[in-house]
Amino acid sequence: MAEKAVLRIYRYNPEVDQNPFYREYEVPLDEVQTLLDALFFVQERLDPTLSFRFFCRAAVCGSCAVKVNGVSRLACKTRFRDLVEASGGRPITVEPLNFLKPVKDLVVDHDAAFENLKTLKTWCEPKEPIPEREYRIPPEEVKKYERPTNCILCFACYGNCEAVMDDPKYAGPFAFSRVYRYAVDSRVKDEHKREMVKNALEAGDVWSCVQCQKCIYVCPKGVRPAEDIQNVRGIAAEMGFRDYPGVRKLQHFVDWVYATGQINRLALPEEVYGVDPTPLINKFREKGAEVWEVPKPLPGLLEFRDLILEVMKEKKPHLDIDFHHVRRIDKRVEEVFKADVCTRITEKFEEQKSDFFSRFWKKLGEFFGAS
Amino acid sequence: MKQVGFYQGCCFQGPDAHMFDMLKKVFADLGVDIKLVERTTCCGGNTIDEANKFLVYSINARNIALAEAEGLDLLVSCNTCYMVLAKTKHALDNDPQLREEINKLLAEEGLEYKGTAKIWHILPYLVEEVGVDTIRKKVKRPLKGWKVATYYGCHIKYPKEVAVVDSENPSGLEELVEALGAEPVKDYEGKDACCGYHAYYTNKPVALKKVVRAPEGAKKAGAEMLVTPCPLCFKAQDIYQDMVENAPRVPSVYLPELLAYALGYDPKEAGLAYHIIPVDKVTVNAPASS
Ligand code: SF4
Ligand code: SF4
Ligand code: FES
Repeated sequence: MAEKAVLRIYRYNPEVDQNPFYREYEVPLDEVQTLLDALFFVQERLDPTLSFRFFCRAAVCGSCAVKVNGVSRLACKTRFRDLVEASGGRPITVEPLNFLKPVKDLVVDHDAAFENLKTLKTWCEPKEPIPEREYRIPPEEVKKYERPTNCILCFACYGNCEAVMDDPKYAGPFAFSRVYRYAVDSRVKDEHKREMVKNALEAGDVWSCVQCQKCIYVCPKGVRPAEDIQNVRGIAAEMGFRDYPGVRKLQHFVDWVYATGQINRLALPEEVYGVDPTPLINKFREKGAEVWEVPKPLPGLLEFRDLILEVMKEKKPHLDIDFHHVRRIDKRVEEVFKADVCTRITEKFEEQKSDFFSRFWKKLGEFFGAS
Repeated sequence: MKQVGFYQGCCFQGPDAHMFDMLKKVFADLGVDIKLVERTTCCGGNTIDEANKFLVYSINARNIALAEAEGLDLLVSCNTCYMVLAKTKHALDNDPQLREEINKLLAEEGLEYKGTAKIWHILPYLVEEVGVDTIRKKVKRPLKGWKVATYYGCHIKYPKEVAVVDSENPSGLEELVEALGAEPVKDYEGKDACCGYHAYYTNKPVALKKVVRAPEGAKKAGAEMLVTPCPLCFKAQDIYQDMVENAPRVPSVYLPELLAYALGYDPKEAGLAYHIIPVDKVTVNAPASS
């Protein structure tokens, strides 16, 4: 008997059904290659009322994305056998993508997400003067945005995005990959870049991303929205859009890591939100925990600082070290540890010194014949 | 005793300084000497990437090179540090030009990134290198009747090229929880939800919505606590959960703490006494038999 697998498919026709429901269908493994084939098998052989979207069948058009066991996937790019193996005999649940209005069964309405994207104005408004012949783009520049350029607007990332889940304004992972892509494109004029980035911050809420990395995981085209988002945030800070908690957090990281080799989690509430951390510190102390208010400076710190400066000289950061802040951190460290950041070096010197004297006394003793 | 280099990152500072001693003892009890790799620094917390990705690659190539200089692999006890270090390794191992550029900078300090050190996260290290059976045999205080929801956190599942577990069907935590004598609760709503930690200082309202999602689901599924192999997920579920009105207040435990307690440590030594949301299953004089 032919091997079969059970598809458990979300069904909903708003014109007739009061509520969505699930229906199970048996699909023989050797008659289908992909999940899309399996959906066709259901529609053609078992239930002609099933609706789903497709076009190219080759992972190009982006229309066939659905949610499979909770994860967004392109139906045409998903090997059916792999799904069957991974599900270990349990039915494979197929549902419409999350966070988009259902139209019928697996078909969703993309319009709202498209409209959001449009408000960001992610397109090329060229610098003047426009060259008479083609643009010449150096390969290093192409390298920066060849990944985001591969986006096929399938909304797989949107359907698994933690930020979309909790912030209805959030424009979606793919949208910020586009912002990044045009923000580093040398053909686009500066004012337009600025406008796009501002839109990403205000209309798109780019600071709501939680950096879960799920968008990278689900993207069928190798786009890495979570990382593009980090770049958009940095570019925004560089353009002067600094009045965001996220920028203050970033400044904390840059300055404290330079100053001490570590961040200082207990200084973050104050530096980002102006909130005094003392009540929290006291809670821990009441429970008997030892609390260090400043991290211990690390050995090798001076070499580490050199490395940071060296790197920043070669590749300019989107946000510079604030050396006034670093001085204040140095002072805190001095107060708490009663020593400056060179302590370790001083310690080493002291060791060598005592070592030297012990050898000296020994020699002297030998000289005078003492034991 | 087996030896492995240990990367401490910024996890053992503030009120958590004691955690390093605890980890060191727990691993020693399990036959592993975790040797702190001196001079390693913060990985950038997946945040400095916003300012300068190349800087993140450089400081983490340095972190890895420091372990390599001692001929050690690098064990990492935090999901995010692990992901950032592993992404760096992935980038440098696949881009000879980037590696060369960075090695030029590291040469100043006499270091070289070679790509020889393996980056371990504690979860697979405990499961694969130490072994679930070894752990089971060392248990002195079986956590009988404890219902523990397993929470993996994102950065050991995604992105795929650095994942240490099957991203869609992770395992390892359940086996460990069982080995400690407790009952794992694996399937609950919110098990794959973000813990909210990294959004707290970028968008607090979003973070606080996230913080309670896994605890709520775990509670509904009958769990009495959550266990996570990530100290940041733990902090979010402990400190930030306390800030959410009507939070379910399900205690969260960092995996090594649970191990420590089951190995017979007292709650202070294990770190369980210092939680903001008290781990009420823990009793000071709970019997530990050998
Ligand atoms: S990393 Fe950010 S954009 Fe990507 S899925 Fe997570 S929250 Fe959404
Ligand atoms: S980034 Fe990837 S997952 Fe998101 S819409 Fe584009 S192709 Fe689809
Ligand atoms: S049908 Fe075009 S991407 Fe699947």
